Amino acid sequence: MSFVNRTAMATASRFLLLRRLSRSLKLSQTLVHSNSSRVSSNLIHKTIEPLDSFWPIGESHIRHDSSITTRSFSSQSQGPASIDNSSVLQEDEFHRLANFTIHDLLEKIEEYGDNVEIDGFDIDYGNEVLTLKLGSLGTYVLNKQTPNRQIWMSSPVSGPSRFDWDQDANVWIYRRTEAKLHKLLEEELENLCGEPIQLS
Amino acid sequence: MMLIVQTAKRAIIGLSSRNSTPNYPVVARHYHENVIDHYENPRNVGSLDKNDPNVGTGLVGAPACGDVMKLQIRVDDDSGQIIDARFKTFGCGSAIASSSLATEWVRGKTMNEVLTIKNTEIAKHLSLPPVKLHCSMLAEDAIKAAVKDYMAKRAKANSLITKPNYKE
Repeated sequence: MSFVNRTAMATASRFLLLRRLSRSLKLSQTLVHSNSSRVSSNLIHKTIEPLDSFWPIGESHIRHDSSITTRSFSSQSQGPASIDNSSVLQEDEFHRLANFTIHDLLEKIEEYGDNVEIDGFDIDYGNEVLTLKLGSLGTYVLNKQTPNRQIWMSSPVSGPSRFDWDQDANVWIYRRTEAKLHKLLEEELENLCGEPIQLS
Repeated sequence: MMLIVQTAKRAIIGLSSRNSTPNYPVVARHYHENVIDHYENPRNVGSLDKNDPNVGTGLVGAPACGDVMKLQIRVDDDSGQIIDARFKTFGCGSAIASSSLATEWVRGKTMNEVLTIKNTEIAKHLSLPPVKLHCSMLAEDAIKAAVKDYMAKRAKANSLITKPNYKE
């Protein structure tokens, strides 16, 4: 697999780039692309989950490499490689997708709430944050994390998760566990509330 | 006259007790005292020399996201134990507390042991609310990143230390 490397960077970043190149050569499966318009962010930009690009780097993440998917490694010391998600999705596209996803979930879970008997059930959407309270069963929080092009979820069952948009599979997926957002919510809500729910 | 005063008093008390349950829910959010403690008395703030071969540096997060954590560990080559740890965090109180706690917890442990530290444990200890669970995950990532960095350095230096059992 060849990689494309376009850059117009300063010397320091060129040095970093060389280190990245040698690493990506060893890895030999990732596309490396540095967008010159994102120079400054590349240098210090690390995703919240740098490790997702590292373990396991050879396998699952490469299928996300559609024609436009790119990776850039920003490395200080020898920190884990990071995924520059900002080049995966354009911001407005991300907002469109994420907003749609969250609103869709809001509607469906609202309806679900009308049908299940959960004491303290409350769903609220404000400031682009979806908060689902299930009384004593816990609280879910879903929000957009725009710099990373991710949807972040906090679950009383599975804790924090960060979902990336997988263009090929058309799903939001948490790379660390391969969990899909809708599937995960379906499973957890059914286990918590006793009633199945169709979200996807 | 007394009766009027009594009635008036009762009315006032009655009024105030009625008003003590407002019509709208008032949510008071507090940082747990453990979080405040770490915020006001952070442990192990600082830096280690990242060029030191015994130092592993984990840098996670992104300024754009509002959270950056740098966690450094000094590892004793012979025992594989972490003998010193420092952190610097840019972020919210929960993020600072999570990384401060992480530096406390890694001290004296081996690298295999610290890789088992879970964000759920950090979150539980600090009683983090749902929206702040991501901070604890970042702290867990920082620990792993620091260990990873140290291992990479050692590998580069062609050491004979066995790698810990984590998925690569």
